[in-house]
Amino acid sequence: MAASVRGTAITARVGVALGVAIAVCLVTGLISHLIQHPQPWFDWPTRPVWLYRFTQGLHVASGIVAIPLVVVKLWSVWPKLFDRPVIGGPVRALERMSILVLVASVLFQLSTGLLNIAQWYVFGFFFTTAHYAMAYVAFGAVVVHIGVKLPVIRRALGEPLDDVARSGSLGPSRRTVLRGTWLAVGLATLVTAGQTVPLLRRVSVLAPRTGEGPQGVPVNRTAVAAGVLGSARSADYRLTVINGDRAQEFTVDELRAMPQATHRLPIACVEGWSAEGQWSGVVLAHLVALVGASPDSDVRMISLEPPGPYSRTVLPARHARDDMTLVALDLNGEPLDLDHGYPCRLIAPSRPGVLQTKWLSRIEVVP
Amino acid sequence: MTAARVLLVVAGVAAGLYGGVLLWDTSSTVLVRIAVWALVGVVVHDFVFAPLCAAAGVAWRTVIPANWRSAVAVAALCSVVLVILAIPVYGRPGARPDNPTVLDRDYPAGLWISIALVWACVPAYHLLVRLLPVGQDQVVDRERADDVERQPPSR
Repeated sequence: MAASVRGTAITARVGVALGVAIAVCLVTGLISHLIQHPQPWFDWPTRPVWLYRFTQGLHVASGIVAIPLVVVKLWSVWPKLFDRPVIGGPVRALERMSILVLVASVLFQLSTGLLNIAQWYVFGFFFTTAHYAMAYVAFGAVVVHIGVKLPVIRRALGEPLDDVARSGSLGPSRRTVLRGTWLAVGLATLVTAGQTVPLLRRVSVLAPRTGEGPQGVPVNRTAVAAGVLGSARSADYRLTVINGDRAQEFTVDELRAMPQATHRLPIACVEGWSAEGQWSGVVLAHLVALVGASPDSDVRMISLEPPGPYSRTVLPARHARDDMTLVALDLNGEPLDLDHGYPCRLIAPSRPGVLQTKWLSRIEVVP
Repeated sequence: MTAARVLLVVAGVAAGLYGGVLLWDTSSTVLVRIAVWALVGVVVHDFVFAPLCAAAGVAWRTVIPANWRSAVAVAALCSVVLVILAIPVYGRPGARPDNPTVLDRDYPAGLWISIALVWACVPAYHLLVRLLPVGQDQVVDRERADDVERQPPSR
């Protein structure tokens, strides 16, 4: 009986949902990649300020949603694994091979993504490059699979769902399996999405973050991990702003003496968590104007953190000239916590948290 | 449709190859790790997880009355999903002493309470179905995509 509940009627329907989830995951992932690896043809807007929070939250949520969908979809086709002949002719061998690539790459993406949001790096390769490259493999395998199965999918979607239930068998019908799948999708979202949807915080019992942290905002890279405990608190601290041969240095007190702006902006991590804070500080455009920078210049933000992949970022001109982009000194009414980037950090609207450079040391106008 | 299918397959192969090109510079050690990670997922699913599910499916048919099976199956699926989501957080393997804002929940409690709630829904659902004046099949048969209850007066 259970064997008759399995079958293309379920595979195709769950497959459509899975295809949508994978497409959303791919597009939002590519957006995040392009923001972090700018291309001349790609422009990322500064409004709405929560746009990156939304796309990256969606990236992680769609990946999590894909987990129950994959479980059910693989369940629905599993007996086919043992179909005879095992290999058969070249066409069949190719089809089987493409399905191996499909399942392996999709499981790879979902498992590495899930481990990454919990910061559990057991796999022994660099997450971002492997996850990015494998995204094309998984996407390509999905597209090939749709191409191969298109007639089957069309036929299965056209068939009524109720065959089994109508024939009088007891136990789960196909409709039950589908409803159960949507229920599991909802549950998976509910128990994890609270790390970016504050309303769900209390029920998201498996979210890697509660959204709590110093000054009400979580931290990804701590001052200890960045090795800036001494330099950030040093009495000799100066923020240097440079444009060609023009340079100015500012102490923290001098920065505080300048006109301050306050904005509510989210900090949104690539790992899918996000939190809103009230940030106060000097408008970046005002600061770089003091050294004669053009509003069309990109700006390089350099951290006190010793050189590494995340110790510096280039802020595109569009974000650099935005009046909501701050060199923040305060978070939620208090001087920045050391883990939030004391003495000052970048906070710009609609940017990945990893590019909101903390413990700023130098701001260079890119010629 | 044939043209569309050929186009899909060609585009898919091209995308997959591009993914391979991106890994071109990767050292062979790392490539092997990536391949192993990908294949282990398949093997674990196809030859451990799926057979266990099938065995459980055979076993439960002898134990669980037919009219309970739907709810039990859905609860089992939900439990599996919860367990998968709990794997990377349960023992907090990624926790680091310098950052208490990551993995800052009681995950064992969260997992077991959520699983308990899922299973508590099984008898609750069963009771609800029995108390409802109409049979489940009738309800299902009546429902359509355009089925909207409590329509406003047409006046």
